Order: sequence, then C-alpha cells, then structure tokens
Amino acid sequence: MKIFFATDIHGSEICWRKFLNAAAFYKADMVVLGGDVTGKIMVPITAYPGYWEVTIRGERRRLENREQLAEAERLLRDRGSYPAIVTPDELDALNSEEAITGRFNSEMTRSLDRWLDMADGKLHGGEIPCILNGGNDDIFDIDPILEASSCVTFAEGKVLDLDGFSMVSMGWTNPTPWDTHREAPEDELAAKIDAVAGQIPDLGRAIFNFHAPPYGTGLDEAPALDQNLRPTHGGAVMKPVGSTAVRDAITRYQPLLSVHGHIHESRGVAKIGRTLAMNPGSSYSDGVLQAALIDLNQKKGKVKYVLVNG
Amino acid sequence: MATDAIGDERPTLFLRKATGLVRGWSVRDSMIYACLSTNVVTLGLVEFAYQGAFPSGQLLTAVLLSGVWVSFLVIAYSGLVVTIPRAGGDYVWQSRILWSGLGFVMAATGWWFILWLWAPIYGTVLAEEFFQPLWATLGSPSGAAWFGTHNGTFVVTLITIALAGVLVSLGMAGYARVQKWCFLGGLVGFAVILILLLVSSKANFISSFNAETARLFGMKNGYGGTLADAGSKAVGYTPPPFGVAGAFSQSLLLVPMLMFYLLWPNWGTTLYGEVRGASDFRRVFSGMFFGLWTTVLLSVIFLALFAKTFGWAFYQSANTLWVDSLYGIPTTHALPIFPYPALLAGWLVHNTTFQVILILLMSLWFFGWVGTLFLSSTRVIFAAAFDRILPDGAAQVSEKRRVPVWSLVLMLLPAIGLAALYSYNSTFHTYTLDATLVIAVTYLFSAIAVVILPWRKPDLWAASPASRIKLLGVPVVPAAGVVTIGLIGYCLYEWLSNSAYGVNNNDSLIYMGAMYVLAVVIYLAARVIRRRQGIDLSLINKEIPVE
Repeated sequence: MKIFFATDIHGSEICWRKFLNAAAFYKADMVVLGGDVTGKIMVPITAYPGYWEVTIRGERRRLENREQLAEAERLLRDRGSYPAIVTPDELDALNSEEAITGRFNSEMTRSLDRWLDMADGKLHGGEIPCILNGGNDDIFDIDPILEASSCVTFAEGKVLDLDGFSMVSMGWTNPTPWDTHREAPEDELAAKIDAVAGQIPDLGRAIFNFHAPPYGTGLDEAPALDQNLRPTHGGAVMKPVGSTAVRDAITRYQPLLSVHGHIHESRGVAKIGRTLAMNPGSSYSDGVLQAALIDLNQKKGKVKYVLVNG
Repeated sequence: MATDAIGDERPTLFLRKATGLVRGWSVRDSMIYACLSTNVVTLGLVEFAYQGAFPSGQLLTAVLLSGVWVSFLVIAYSGLVVTIPRAGGDYVWQSRILWSGLGFVMAATGWWFILWLWAPIYGTVLAEEFFQPLWATLGSPSGAAWFGTHNGTFVVTLITIALAGVLVSLGMAGYARVQKWCFLGGLVGFAVILILLLVSSKANFISSFNAETARLFGMKNGYGGTLADAGSKAVGYTPPPFGVAGAFSQSLLLVPMLMFYLLWPNWGTTLYGEVRGASDFRRVFSGMFFGLWTTVLLSVIFLALFAKTFGWAFYQSANTLWVDSLYGIPTTHALPIFPYPALLAGWLVHNTTFQVILILLMSLWFFGWVGTLFLSSTRVIFAAAFDRILPDGAAQVSEKRRVPVWSLVLMLLPAIGLAALYSYNSTFHTYTLDATLVIAVTYLFSAIAVVILPWRKPDLWAASPASRIKLLGVPVVPAAGVVTIGLIGYCLYEWLSNSAYGVNNNDSLIYMGAMYVLAVVIYLAARVIRRRQGIDLSLINKEIPVE
C-alpha cells in the first residue's frame, strides 16, 4: 500500500491542488494531510468604484478589471493568504481583534469549502481515500466541515483501518510561544495518545499520525528564539521543540511508522527503536509540496519511503 | 492578531496567531557571520603574503575590485534566498531550478568533499597565527618553527579537526555565543593593532623589528636585510609602491587569489529558512553586503597601516621571502615563521605579556571561525541521506548523546587523510587554491540558476520579491547573476590556465576531477541501488502538476 503524506500547507492553494493530484502522479493508494491546513495571513483587497487596490509582498497594486482581480486572488491563495474583498468602510471596521477574527474565520471556512469542492472532483467523490487532520494552527471551526465532507476522512482521535494497518491521529501539540489553538501540556497529550493507542489491535502494524514531532529526534529542530521571538545568533542555533509525550508514546508503543509535521524546517527521518519516524517538512510558501511517499508492505510489515518535493 | 500598516494608512494584511511568526533575524548577526566567513585575519593576511606571484599587482586595487565584484554575487544569492528561502542553499536551489543530480554533485563537492582540504588549510592558519607566534614570543623560536614542519602541520591539523568535530557534536548553541564574543574580542585586538600602528613611526618599527629578530632569531639588521634579500638576484622581487596606481592587469590577476578570503559572504545561506525573515530582500542582502564590506574596509585599513608603519616594500618583501623559503628558496633574512602582522605590531611594545595577549586576542578571529568548518558538510550529508542518495545511517544521530556519528566519520576520516597528504607530500600543499576553485564551481551553477530562474520557474519568480527589483527596467538579480558568472568564469579561466595559482597541474586536476567523479558515482550508484529496492530517486524533485 502506497501512502502519500504531506503536512503544513497553511492555506497554500497551489499545494492543495498538488496534494489532490498526488495520488495519480505518484500512483499512491491514498493521500494523507497531517494538519495545519489553514493559512495565517488575510490580505484585504479594497474595492473602489471601477477598480480595486491590494498590497502583495509590499507592492501596492491597482487592479483595473476582473481578470486582474482574479489573478491577484490566485497569487495570494497560491502562497497561503486569504484574499478578502472589502469596501473602504468594511476595512475601517476591521479595527478590533473580534472583528478581524470573525472575518478571518469566515474567509478560512469559505476557502476550506472551496477546497473540498475541488477535492470532490479530483478524488472522484471519495474513490481515492483522503485523510485530513487538524494541526495546532487550525481553528476548531474546520472540524465539523471536514467531518461532514463525503470526500475526505477527518482523522482526529480516531483509529482508522487502512487495509490492515491502523492509523491513529492527533493534531494537538505541546505548548508553543504563540499560544495556538490545539496546544496542551505534555501530560494531557500523553493521555490523549493513550486513549486512542489502547484501541490499536496490532501495534506492529500501527501508524501514528501526530502533528507534533517527537522531542529531540532531529525532526523537531527549530531556530532558538529570544524573548522577543527573534531568532538568536543569526538563526544558526537550532533547538529541539518537539513533544516528549509523543516521543515517550513512540518509545513505549513502538508503532511501525510515525509521521509528523509542525516544524517546517526539520525535514528528516529518524529511527526510534523499531519505529521509523519522519517529518517531510513544509515549503508551502514556495508552492512546493514537500511530502513522504511511503510504501507499506502488507505481508512483511515493512516500510519503504522517499521524501519528495512535488 | 497583528496588522501591517504604515502610519495612518489602512492595513495591508492581517496575521492571526499561528506558529512560526517570528521577527526576522538581526542583520547584525548575519553581518557578523558574513564578516567572519570572509575572514581578513585568518584567510586575508595569509593570502596577502602571496602577492609576490604577481609582483607588480596592487593588493589595494585587487581588494577593492574583488569587493565590488563579489557584491554582485551577494545580490544574486540574496535573490535565491528570498525566492526559495529554504535551509540547504545551493543544494536546494540547483536541485529545484536545474536538476537533482547536478544539485547533489555540486553540493557534495563544494560543501562536503572539498571541506576535507579546508581542514589542513585551517590547521596551517592555526599554526601560523597562533602556535608559531605564541611559541616565538614565549622565547622558543625552534618550537615555533616546529609548527611549520611536516609533523607540526599534521599535529595542528589534527587539533583543528578534533576541535571542529567536537563543535559539530556539541551543536551550535554554545558555540554561537562564543562566536559573537570572539568577533568582539577580535575587533578589540584589531583596534589595539590599529592604535599601535597609528602612533608608531616607521623608525620605531625598524628598531623594534631589528631588536626582536635579533633576540629571537639571531638575525642581524633584519629590516634592511629583508629589503636587500628581496631585491637580490636570487629572489629578484621589486615590490610596487602602495596605492591603486600600477599595472591594472597584474592587479586583476590578484583577484582570483583574493577569492580565497573574499568569496564567502554568502556562507550562511545554507542556514537561511522561512521563519527567519528570509523573504525580506533588503535584510538578507544587508547582512551579507555589510559583512563583506566590513572585511574590505578592515583589509584596506590593515594595508594602509602596514604601508605607513612597516613600510610597504618591507611588508611585501618579508612576505615574499617567507613564501620563497616555503618553496625551497632560502634567504638569510627570511623569517622562520609567518611574518604575521599581529606579531610584528606586538614587537612595537617590548613586553612579552602584552605581545602574548595581543596574539591571543587576534587568535579569536580563528576560534570564532573554526566551528563552521564542518557545519555545512553535516547538513549536506543529512540532506543527501534524507533524499536516499546516501545510506540512511549517514543521517542517524546517536540516541544518548545526539552525536551524528556517521556523518562525522564521513567528514573526519577523509579530512585526516587529506591532512596527512597536505603535511607530508611535497607538492600537495601548493594546491591550496583548489579549495576555493571547487566551491566557486558550485557557486557558478547557482549563478546560472538565478539567471535562468525567470524562464525556468516563471511562477516562482513572479511571486518572488526579487523579481520586483529593477534598474532601468532590467531585473537586478538575474543581471547580478550574469556578473557573478563573469567573476567566476574569469577566475576559473585564470586558475586553470595560469600556473602561478598552483592549480593547473596534473595532480591537482586529477585530485579535483576525482571528487566530481566520486560525487557522480555516488549519485548513479544510489539511483541503481534504490531502484532495485523499489525506490525511484527521480521522483524527489519532480513537480506535481497543479491542474
């Protein structure tokens, strides 16, 4: 069974389109997205009579017609930003955290609906299995949308049977300096993992799909930051920021495979006892879909893989 | 939640709370890294000593010309960083823009194999700028001279390799702090030398030099003898006067030599990544550019003060006699150790403690720099292992101590072998500029990548902040890439056609060629072996269609 695993696309529409095409491109049996589906940036496009204005990467642009507007929206979506078309008055009204959050959430969920519509066509209405999970940066509003979709399977907290292999998924991470949506202390993470891992019939054929990478494995190296969240020493100093609960769980349960994301810079593979753990990293802002192409041998219970930049 | 707006203007974007939204790295930090990489003390002063290869060439002209030319390389690399802001540098850019196999061959040769040769070069610098002057100052000239022997060079290189290996094992966290303090301490040492050379007259220096060389090496009339020996028939060296006038063509020939220290302001680009503000062109460019030009400025100050206090003819002559002695042309007044300017300046103060402190302060330029010797190699080995080109074990890290055992073996063992060759083979040490050439070839392909980027990856280019930097309608970054190709092409032509650089002889070419063959063989073998294992390496950088 061949699995295409990607993660952390953060609203990049070009990466989502590639993700949907990955099964056909790599001849994979299923595609899995390991969390952090939604973007971090919303860019207002201000509508004036007869034209629009937008600033893209520091450059102010005047859009004279609908084709230019569509092109600007595409450019923003491809790199993970949400274009929000607003009147000058609406933009002025986005002056409180509550107002901004409301608009942001509405753009995120609307975008996810569009993505699921695309998925329906590309995945032939669920014929190609597609598993999605939230990540710590994803708001909880996306969960019911994914749960309700007929073309994707929302995996959070479930034990999924993948043709003889059991996948358990968790989008929660250990605390970060940004206090994001799905964070919990290590003991709570351990409890969440134990709750699902206990239901796995054969750990030798188990796959952990945990957004947080295991601590101190090289899959969790992020630039060390000072108290102002500025990288220290020119960004040359990295430090492990993964989860000890995830590491302990892998060490204790020894699943066949453990796939992770969260730390974009830390693309790599590590052996933890008998478990093969990997983080394909993320390069969503370049429009490159980093991923792991994993071949699971059902008879021997062995794993072959290659990390790709699709 | 954060907004981005200028003054009373309306916000242009909204950021929600999410992982990784950090402030950009400080320009000062990356400037220090670039400045230490283009290290005027460890590499510059050593390379200045070889000016005699082009007797009428002007170091000052060549330094300034090199600074301007390498600035274009800085622009080209800044463009690559902001367009594909990923850790991995040349390997990632060439793999994505050109071809996977080429990316591996260039990264393996330029960021891994050739670093084996840099190990004895670092070792030689440590001997010449630390052990030799320290031993001489402490009253053991014979001990100092030993560090220049075959055994001395080998032992110091082993110390260097061990030091760099330990730093890789311990990680960069502690070392990065050390590096910053080394830079500051090194600047203090530089300032002390600057003051000494400013307040001392040439007459003071002549008497100090004569006294110290007589005391330490039993030399008579050291200053006058140096000038006389250099001008003798046996040596036949007539140093040019200090300045920018003179034979421009000869100064131009010094440029490929000076690349030994000025070609590295972009050394940190393998470390740049998304979360470090790497998409900000001005920030990326400023760190490297000001690092480079700090080095150029320090070089110009050094040279001007050497001319004022040492006397330009003397400085050049002392260097030439020392180099000639290395190549088996002994003269009476050649110093038995490297005429290290920090040592010569320290002689202006007749106090051993002061001289030792000055040498220790200046040695910080070495100790702040040595940790980077194998850092990039580890990253290339890990990247190649994750791409399944190298065996998986190459990227394994010991669980207890977090030491990358096999990558260390892949770096240290060949480096020790090269160190032995460099130390004991009578000609191998003359291939020093091979170490620059091979990295320059890697840079050349990145420069080609940046030039063809707008055509090869139009979407990526259109989305890049670099695409909007134009001068008279011409995109600056690809144009800078063309100038960089010109620089490297010129250097390659001279290195490979002019025997004065010590590169274009059979053994040197075979040595370099063998590295490329080794990289190609590893890549092809990996393709075959992985295919048998059912893993298709050609998939690694194949782009998934969007539609």
